Amino acid sequence: MSTEIAIPDYREQSHEVASRFARLRQRTFALEVRGLTKLFESSRNVVTALDDVSFSVHKRELLSVIGPSGCGKSTLVRILAGLETPTAGELRVYGEPVSGPGSDRGMVFQGYTLFPWRTVKENVMFGPQMSGTPAFTAESEAREWIELVGLSKFENAYPHQLSGGMKQRVAIARALANQPRVLFMDEPFGALDAQTRCQMQSYLLEIWKNVDITIVFITHDLDEAVFLSDRILVLDANPGRVREIVEVPVPRPRSSDQLFDPTFLSVRKHIDNLIHPPGQEQKDAPVLRMAVADPDVV
Amino acid sequence: MTRPGILKGWFLIRRDLPQSRRLALTGVSFLLPLAIWCFVSYIPWIWHPDVKIELSAEREGVTTVFTAGDHVSRKFFPEFVEAVRTENAAVLSARAAGTSERGAKRKNQKLLRQLAPLATQHGWLPYTEAQNDAVLYTLWRDIATGAKATSKPALTAENLSVVRKNWALLSATSPTFSYKALPDESLLKLVPQGKPANPIYLPAPDEVISAGLRDFSAKVPDGELTMSQRYKKSLGVIFMGFFWASLVGIPIGILCGVFDFFSKLFEPFVDFFRYMPAPTFSTLLVAVLLAGDAPKIALVFIGTVFQLILVVSKTTRLLEPSLLEAAQTLGAKPRQMITHVVIPGIMPNLYNDLRILLGWAWTWLVIAELIGVKSGLTEFIETQGRFRNFDRVFPIIILIGVTGFVMDQFLSFLHGIFFPWTGTSGPVARAIVKAVKQPILAIAGSASSKRAIQP
Repeated sequence: MSTEIAIPDYREQSHEVASRFARLRQRTFALEVRGLTKLFESSRNVVTALDDVSFSVHKRELLSVIGPSGCGKSTLVRILAGLETPTAGELRVYGEPVSGPGSDRGMVFQGYTLFPWRTVKENVMFGPQMSGTPAFTAESEAREWIELVGLSKFENAYPHQLSGGMKQRVAIARALANQPRVLFMDEPFGALDAQTRCQMQSYLLEIWKNVDITIVFITHDLDEAVFLSDRILVLDANPGRVREIVEVPVPRPRSSDQLFDPTFLSVRKHIDNLIHPPGQEQKDAPVLRMAVADPDVV
Repeated sequence: MTRPGILKGWFLIRRDLPQSRRLALTGVSFLLPLAIWCFVSYIPWIWHPDVKIELSAEREGVTTVFTAGDHVSRKFFPEFVEAVRTENAAVLSARAAGTSERGAKRKNQKLLRQLAPLATQHGWLPYTEAQNDAVLYTLWRDIATGAKATSKPALTAENLSVVRKNWALLSATSPTFSYKALPDESLLKLVPQGKPANPIYLPAPDEVISAGLRDFSAKVPDGELTMSQRYKKSLGVIFMGFFWASLVGIPIGILCGVFDFFSKLFEPFVDFFRYMPAPTFSTLLVAVLLAGDAPKIALVFIGTVFQLILVVSKTTRLLEPSLLEAAQTLGAKPRQMITHVVIPGIMPNLYNDLRILLGWAWTWLVIAELIGVKSGLTEFIETQGRFRNFDRVFPIIILIGVTGFVMDQFLSFLHGIFFPWTGTSGPVARAIVKAVKQPILAIAGSASSKRAIQP
């Protein structure tokens, strides 16, 4: 009970945080999404994956998208990256309407999707090579990106020789080497173990600090979303709709010590309530015919 | 229940055996059939339904003539021996009664040649001079006087006495061969000798090896091909057929795997065509492409290309689609996605497909070489098979098998060298890649820096 009393309202922002948000709001829109709708039609029925989703992301903001499974998070990010076409709606990057995939929007996938036949360096060089950058330039640039993610020792290793966390760092370097204006990350740390995951989150914030990039981060992990984001977009499931866009009151720079701060817990609890309405677990709990009654195990 | 100690560790469900045991079992898998072959061939009381004649004889009034090397059934052989003994007894009794047959010179000359197979076996006579009566005559003398002893096969005591009795008659008229001086009365026949043998279609390992060595080192008359030339010709047919099939099949297969358009345009027909057995086109191919190697190569091509297209398109479709999506988000254009993602991505699997399909092409070898003018190794197999010289057929069959197997193992080893990034390379392949990589990287590095200098 005592902890609950200590948690403040998630809308309470310290002066510092509030003024930072005010400044962010002044910035230009890196990404604008208007009325995005996606229907999956099969011969028998029509499924609405996304229904009229609208939001915008300011320049150099880090926005997380969270929601219950099946809410269309992945569909949303795939549409944003141009891998799928929306049924309706508009997408603008720095004011220019875009459709189809392009090198202005980078993407980091949950599966590592590194090209296994290319070394770390060659993987990072892929994007620039496609746009016709001379090999020598591409190579020296790739070295810098690899250094940024701390893998200089492994630049000539093949992906199968790397651990999951290292692979994902290469994937980030590869996406950044292409110098996109917006980076989409589709549950990039979902396949990693908890410890590596924490490390990678700190890494990501470090990279984000040093690189001129706007990030849209898809996740289903509440702590991850709160830890990383400026704002969190909460999606409803069936159909996918914007439930709320929450400003995270946790001050920056972030560190793992803040995970138990009252502000952190306040926003975490609020979003948890949005995704899992209270009381649902009890309602859904199964009752066994041969249930065992034990007062110490409740 | 515990297993007996010695078997412990060999039979674990879905568990890999240690490397040493695996190697041992690989050896055994080859030695086992070989051992069975040896057992059946060399242990006389296993099977051996025939008798292989080593020393033959002609019978009076019987037109069927057996020569050394012929097989007869084990049941018939004693009858054969008895018949000759009876004839010898008749000759002796006639001689005793003084009513010997006259005018048997011609018959006696033939009889003297009974020793010819022995003479060639011992190397006393070359194969080509089996009818050199002068030498054979001295041989009768040498064996009778004990100057030469027979060992392969050794003459039985019965036959030795026959030799001595005959030589007594022969030496009485002439010390050297002369047709006129041959005795007029009948000589005694050598009683047939033989050893238990397996049917002619199962020659013993040593017979196969010696026949193989003989055939591969033999000089051939002008205008005929030596065995190694035949071998090269056979390999040539396979490789040319496979080469053309790859040249046509790989691009089509990749296109089918990448574009649904080509898949639906080509694959239904290809699927239908591959059910028509390639050999059914043989006469057509000969009519169109005439004699020579062209129809043979075309047969291997037809037999391979349709499978190849389907396999390559399937392999292409198996490429992780997320790699293509990643490439798209990195700004790759459709053409670049094919050249920089699809092709390098499917290479290792494509290589394995081709390895398997090369094995497939092998299976067309015999049929391809039979159509039109017979050629290559198959012609040899055909000819010798008709003569029932199976000891000469087996080496060729084994050669074809060994070639295919060694090639496949070698190509699979190369896979580790060509595609180190798949992480399946063995230790040797890894070492080679490591040794070769440095110079290549150096060359590539200098090449790319040169390119960069250009504006």
